[in-house]
Amino acid sequence: MVDILPLSSYPSYIDLLPSIQTCNITNLPENYFLKYYLYHALTWPQLSFVAVVRPKHGYTKHTTPTGNSAGSAAEQYPKVVGYVLAKMEEEPTDGVAHGHITSISVMRTHRRLGIAERLMRMSQRAMAECHRAQYVSLHVRVSNTAALHLYRDTLGFQVESVESKYYADGEDAYAMRMDLSNMFIDWAEIERKDRERAARDEKEADEGDEVGEVGKKETDGEKEKERMVRVKVGRGLGVGDLVEKNEAQTA
Amino acid sequence: MPQPLNSKDASLFRQVVRHYENKQHKKGIKTAEQILKKNPNHGDTLAMKALIMSNMGQQEEAFVLAKEALKNDMKSHICWHVYGLLYRAEKNYEEAIKAYRFALRIEPESQPIQRDLALLQMQMRDYQGYIQSRKTMLQARPGFRQNWTALAIAHHLSGDLEEAEKVLTTYEETLKIPPPTSDMEHSEAVLYKNTIMAEAGKVEQALEHLEKFGHRISDVLAVMELKADYLLRLDRKAEAEAAYTALLDRNPENSLYYDALIRAKGIASDDHKTQKAVYDSWVEKNPRGDAPRRIPLDFLEGDDFKQAADVYLQRMLKKGVPSLFANIKSLYSNPAKRDTVQELVEGYVATTSAEGQSDADKTDFLSSSYYFLAQHYNYSLSRDLSKAMANVDKAIELSPKAVEYQLTKARIWKHYGNLEKAAEEMEKARQLDEKDRHINSKAAKYQLRNNENDKGLDNMSKFTRNETVGGALGDLHEMQCVWYLTEDGEAYLRQKKLGLALKRFHAVYNIFDTWQEDQFDFHSFSLRKGMIRAYVDMVRWEDRLREHPFYTRMAVSAIKSYILLHDQPDLAHGPLPNGSADDDNERKKAVKKAKKEQQRLEKLEAEKREARKAASTKNVDGEVKKEDPDPLGNKLVQTQDPLKDATKFLTPLLELSPKSIEAQSLGFEVYLRRGMRKISDQLTKNPGKHALALKCLSAIHAIDASHPTLHVQTLRFRKALDSLSEPLAPQVAEVVNAEFETLLPKGQNLEEWNDSFLSTHKESVSHQQAGLTCRQLLKPDSKPQCEQDLTSTLDSKDITIETALAGLELLNEWGSNQAAKAAYAQKASSKWPEATLFRVD
Repeated sequence: MVDILPLSSYPSYIDLLPSIQTCNITNLPENYFLKYYLYHALTWPQLSFVAVVRPKHGYTKHTTPTGNSAGSAAEQYPKVVGYVLAKMEEEPTDGVAHGHITSISVMRTHRRLGIAERLMRMSQRAMAECHRAQYVSLHVRVSNTAALHLYRDTLGFQVESVESKYYADGEDAYAMRMDLSNMFIDWAEIERKDRERAARDEKEADEGDEVGEVGKKETDGEKEKERMVRVKVGRGLGVGDLVEKNEAQTA
Repeated sequence: MPQPLNSKDASLFRQVVRHYENKQHKKGIKTAEQILKKNPNHGDTLAMKALIMSNMGQQEEAFVLAKEALKNDMKSHICWHVYGLLYRAEKNYEEAIKAYRFALRIEPESQPIQRDLALLQMQMRDYQGYIQSRKTMLQARPGFRQNWTALAIAHHLSGDLEEAEKVLTTYEETLKIPPPTSDMEHSEAVLYKNTIMAEAGKVEQALEHLEKFGHRISDVLAVMELKADYLLRLDRKAEAEAAYTALLDRNPENSLYYDALIRAKGIASDDHKTQKAVYDSWVEKNPRGDAPRRIPLDFLEGDDFKQAADVYLQRMLKKGVPSLFANIKSLYSNPAKRDTVQELVEGYVATTSAEGQSDADKTDFLSSSYYFLAQHYNYSLSRDLSKAMANVDKAIELSPKAVEYQLTKARIWKHYGNLEKAAEEMEKARQLDEKDRHINSKAAKYQLRNNENDKGLDNMSKFTRNETVGGALGDLHEMQCVWYLTEDGEAYLRQKKLGLALKRFHAVYNIFDTWQEDQFDFHSFSLRKGMIRAYVDMVRWEDRLREHPFYTRMAVSAIKSYILLHDQPDLAHGPLPNGSADDDNERKKAVKKAKKEQQRLEKLEAEKREARKAASTKNVDGEVKKEDPDPLGNKLVQTQDPLKDATKFLTPLLELSPKSIEAQSLGFEVYLRRGMRKISDQLTKNPGKHALALKCLSAIHAIDASHPTLHVQTLRFRKALDSLSEPLAPQVAEVVNAEFETLLPKGQNLEEWNDSFLSTHKESVSHQQAGLTCRQLLKPDSKPQCEQDLTSTLDSKDITIETALAGLELLNEWGSNQAAKAAYAQKASSKWPEATLFRVD
């Protein structure tokens, strides 16, 4: 039977990345370096999920904190039959925080079990909860009716536009999106209490060193931030020339 | 010797640095040369020029220049820093660290040098050094949260959990007001601290901590998982039950949650009825889910099982779920369940097809059932290939366009031992859906299994970016397509084209190196992003990266290639016809022919390279991609020392997969051969190799004392010790003899020892093969009888086609003559008439 597991939050199944990469290149024409998967797993660890066949004797390795345990390695690496690789849009052109499905696929041999739907729902919820994503976007081949059915009819996505020749082979893509704001966590109560407390503290005129906040405003901090864009990931080793594409083959 | 510049040149120097930072390489070089015109020996400028050249890919020239810079200015921290950066670019981390340390000694306050040093210490897992560096960096800038977090990580990974937690707490205490809930860095840091507490075994404290702060953390799922786990570990059952119920509400497709829920509810493992009721309630909540329907089949028995299986199977067959069999087969380790499933589905087929006239639904149900039975009879635990074929043909007849059905037909042919036919049928499946890469990959894989490397690549090229340097194969390398490279290499190994085989295995080896190197950027990146738990998990995973089955499989094949090359050095010139080794004249002729062929291929490849060069050498980025100077692997295969090269693959294998019998037995083969080389042949003395070989044997013994491979290798080790050309060093001999005594006592009569092995394991063909191998080693004149006995093992009712094939390989190993091989092959062919594997050429 197939389990849907988090990729790199808790518990971590990050050692499945090579198998996820293999699942992707077996199923889809849009492929990435392992580093690009790492980049997703380490930047938005809450958003990606993996579907695996439950090993006969359970997940031995993942129960110990150091990940060491005896037994045959093949038994320790469950078979990956699907995954969703997701992110937050880093510089949203519309200025609205939103998530994006970089890639999702399910092995042909494991279709029609609802795996893709479950993967999508888990990722969407995490986008809303962890990152307050207003919506999630994705691209899908216009010919991929099964995936279109899942996104539009089952999950509730809407077609935003058609992107001409989006795929390398010249096929057009539907750009789709779905609102997530109904899944937001209500922080209002906590935030109200925080504000009250802050006001009280101010009255007491505490001149304490607000290390965390001040530190962020230092110019050095800005410099560090600038450097972020130089981290090399993805195809061609530069994140710059990386075009993330998504192709879902589901049923 | 500090070398001051005049103010104009000093300002030019600042420009060089700026150009470097902005990656304006050409401008940087130009400006540097301007300074050097007047100050030809200016160390810092020379160093900066070297650094820019290195970034432009001119590694060798850069190194020469950097050394010159150092010679001119030994006291410059810039020169030393650059020297370190160049070593770092070459991945010589140890030298880089040394250079950084020199630079730091000159300029102890330099943040960039300190940071570069720290990153390398992390990469090298020098945790003590890293702790020191992070302490210095924290003292310099205590205002940055990431400096505190980094020190905590350093302590955590070095194993000092208390100190790690303390550092995080110290920082938290400086926060007068709680950071806003949108502060992910804070949210993650709190969770990080929480997991450190749990790792230290302080589960109760961790739970308390989570209950206090969990509601402010935005990674809701992680908080829920942690809490549920703690509650269950603390045996707070009612709360744990609630926690796992909440998790299942979020994700009902995770068997781990159900396991935990059953434990939390305190349901006895033999109380199937109550368990089933729990699962049924989840089916009701999630009628579309699979897990709560499927899991009860694991524990139900007898009629309960039959009833539940009936419902499950019918539902899935009606839906036409293609993964049904994959979802069911794990039940087959229980023969009663296997038989029940078979009976049920055979029953569906019988009733439905007897009903005659059919509507569309019924046809779908029937073809799904035939498809299920085809897979059932194709599976190793329930195999009956003729039934499998009959069922798949019926399924295809009803649904000729179903890719899965055609795919299964190919798999049946594979199990028949006819790889040619299997590849053909899979190609037909591919043609049913040419836009699907999954079936395309399968078709290519089956072609590779049939040793059709070119056809396989041609199929792959339908989905690769063929404009990449090196075409489709280049893209598969670039996209790190490990499965393909491994299969391709293994196909070449079967054809004894060792150059190309090694080429592919080295390519996969290099991909693993890249994956290890990939973590480097995250040492700084993750601190900025603040996703610390994921980072720490990544670091720990990288430490056991080569434990992955992808590595194991490739390394096993690479080592086999090198052993083959060592045993048959002529293969360096290409594959040779079988039997040519027997006659010296014949052999020379064959080698000459192979050499000619090798030269022809090399010329062909060179021409292709020239043609590509003429077309274009630049890729999209304007970077010049280096052409591979040895695309056929000829340099690899012409190695002076195959066994030493094999060690490169072997070391991680033995270190990270010590429980693999195959790894240990290959370790034995490599070390025994290295130990047996005549001293005059050795580049270096290998006094410890016998001890290492023995260590592998002892490891196998600890895993499975009656393993057939162990039996043969034990005897070979005894014979090796008895026929040493030079005695082992006394200390080595003492240790080796003492340890080997426990595996095979010196006083043991070897023939009796072997006979007893043979009679103990009468039922196992693999053991008979091992025993016979030993017998013909012990008594060479018994070989004809052994060959006959080996052929008789084909009559065993339990023998599989794979074991039978291994028997044929053995005859090659024994150096048996053509007649003996033909007799064996003929008998095997009549037992498996569809198989083509037993052709003797």
